[in-house]
Amino acid sequence: MEPIASHENWRNCFCEVAPGLLLFARQWVQSAADAEDIVQDAFVKFWRRNHDIANRALLYAAVRSLALDFIRRDARRARREATVLAEAEPAIEPHFQLEDDTQSALAAAVESLPRDQREVLVLKIWNDFTFSEIAGALGISQNTAASRYRYALTNLKKTLQPQ
Amino acid sequence: MNDFSELEKELRKLRPTQPSPVLFERVGEALKNCRASAAADAKWKRWRFPETPYNWWSLGFGLAAAAVLILFAAVTVERLHEHQQTIAQSSPAPETRPVPLGPERSISASRFVPAGGTNLVYNARDEGLHFADGSERPVRRVRYRTQQTWRWRNPETGASLRVSYPSEEVVLIPVSGQ
Repeated sequence: MEPIASHENWRNCFCEVAPGLLLFARQWVQSAADAEDIVQDAFVKFWRRNHDIANRALLYAAVRSLALDFIRRDARRARREATVLAEAEPAIEPHFQLEDDTQSALAAAVESLPRDQREVLVLKIWNDFTFSEIAGALGISQNTAASRYRYALTNLKKTLQPQ
Repeated sequence: MNDFSELEKELRKLRPTQPSPVLFERVGEALKNCRASAAADAKWKRWRFPETPYNWWSLGFGLAAAAVLILFAAVTVERLHEHQQTIAQSSPAPETRPVPLGPERSISASRFVPAGGTNLVYNARDEGLHFADGSERPVRRVRYRTQQTWRWRNPETGASLRVSYPSEEVVLIPVSGQ
């Protein structure tokens, strides 16, 4: 059995995927701290069996599974967080590093998307997944992934159009 | 997708927030713990299954297969034995049933009625004239050898009983002088 932590490339791999992975986790949990916990658990479990990220769809599927478990386990807390988050300013724990108002509007539009469209968009844009990988990570067909992505872009365009 | 190329370009400009540096340390610690537990597991496995030229998995599977074969053979022998017992029990009962004795026998015997008898003479020998017991008149002595048979029949059951035995009979025929 190969020693796990002797693979120093885990840090390189984690640096590469961590921002997108964290953004993906935050599609379910609003708290950045909870999202980091989920990402940590998923990555450690993944790295114990896979010493590279060639099969990264598995890693994202693990994140999604842990996030859903977290929601079920702590539903009361999740409801409270959702209520608080609805009343709070989105800038408290932003999902993106915003540089100007245009990006703020775009980030807000992304966060207003339905979850099923948003998770496909996150995987496609900020994680460079193919539709095949998205299908594998989310357990849906490639056609469904493609159509959700198209709906997400259409909705974003509608939201961002000047009235 | 050409309609959305500008939008996609704008979206890609958005950079997700970076994870906290603490997260990297936590992941590193967790992986070290995994390595320690994995090493402990490996040590435990070496203690339980020391390095030997034997392939323990093969040995285990072999023993399991042998156990299954022995079990199968035992079940087969047992079933064969049961089958033989079944055959023995299914043979006609009258052959193995003891002959009823006592009142039952007398009842069935009483129902037999005589159905006839034969007296077959298969040999007759004239032994000449004799004077029997100081008699003044001679007698001719003829010896008959016969086979007597008596038959009984049970009208209810139709069963028949036949008794046959040899017999010898001596007949003295008086001889009258002319």
